[in-house]
Amino acid sequence: MNGKVMVVTSGKGGVGKTTAVANIGCALAVRGKKVALVDADIGLRNLDIVLGLENRIVFDIIHAMEGRCRLRQALIRDKRVQTLFLLPAAQSKDKDAIAPDQMKELTGELAGEFDYVILDCPAGIERGFKNAIAGANAAVIITTPEVSAVRDADRIVGLLEAEGIEQPKLVINRLRPDMVKRGDMLDIEDVIDILAIDLVGVVPDDETVITSTNRGEPAVLDGASRAGEAFRRIAARIEGEDVPFLSMEAPSFWGRIKRFLGAAR
Amino acid sequence: MVFEFVSWILGKKDKPRSKDLAKERLKLVLTHDRVDISPQMFEKLRRDLASACAKYVEIDEAGMNVRFDSQDRTLALVASVPVIGAKRNPYSSKRRGNMG
Repeated sequence: MNGKVMVVTSGKGGVGKTTAVANIGCALAVRGKKVALVDADIGLRNLDIVLGLENRIVFDIIHAMEGRCRLRQALIRDKRVQTLFLLPAAQSKDKDAIAPDQMKELTGELAGEFDYVILDCPAGIERGFKNAIAGANAAVIITTPEVSAVRDADRIVGLLEAEGIEQPKLVINRLRPDMVKRGDMLDIEDVIDILAIDLVGVVPDDETVITSTNRGEPAVLDGASRAGEAFRRIAARIEGEDVPFLSMEAPSFWGRIKRFLGAAR
Repeated sequence: MVFEFVSWILGKKDKPRSKDLAKERLKLVLTHDRVDISPQMFEKLRRDLASACAKYVEIDEAGMNVRFDSQDRTLALVASVPVIGAKRNPYSSKRRGNMG
């Protein structure tokens, strides 16, 4: 097997990289793909807790890299989706514990066994970023419709280009349709116009992302979650399907009631 | 007063929408981020451009407007140079003067 090694990155912190990795990865696995999620944020391990796998960690990425365990032993199988695996970050080391070459070797090995290897990149553009993109052959850039996040995303596009990772795909996260309607938030066209890269998905600002993260369950597993639906569509597009974009209209009164009833089920 | 109240009710505002400001500011800052040229170098470029133009036409250097513009990740240097008058065949006239 020669899987796709995809880095999820943003430059700016706090725009939803880890949540995106968990959800896109989980959605691809639900579709039957074999997926390995790699937490490349050494020292700030988070993907495990977002996925609800924090109590299952025995070995981590550094153990595997240093040969203290086999790569297979460090991979944790997801509780719910059989084809989803996590390679956790080390919590007690720092970013210098890994070199780009080692990362390339590791992702290459994983790509031999998985359809998708998805890397959760740390914020910033220093060592951790360079490690995370070293073995990647595709990239998803996450931004929110805010000036700071869009500016950082633009910087990332330039840096990825310089590293030979062409045509990154854009996810606009936490869009608020009500604010867009008022003209108080950059809309989808504005962000695409500015960054000039292909859009792969738009995720509405949605409370269910927080509640599902509280439970350690990706929102894509919640049929009533709007954000979950958006991430499922992103996964479908990554698989090459031509799926319409989720309607970003502010929910009507009846829409809200319907959604409430859906969530209560 | 009544008009203001009515426009308030209708949600009309005189203020520009904040997203338009965001877009405008972002475009400007990103163009400069992408060019990555220091203000000193930019000033040098502007002056060299002015002197290059001044060889052929009489220009109003104070009224010059030089900036970078980007579209679809392609950069362009856009210059607007006001011309006061054309110098007719500047080199040949100068040469003639020297020779005469």
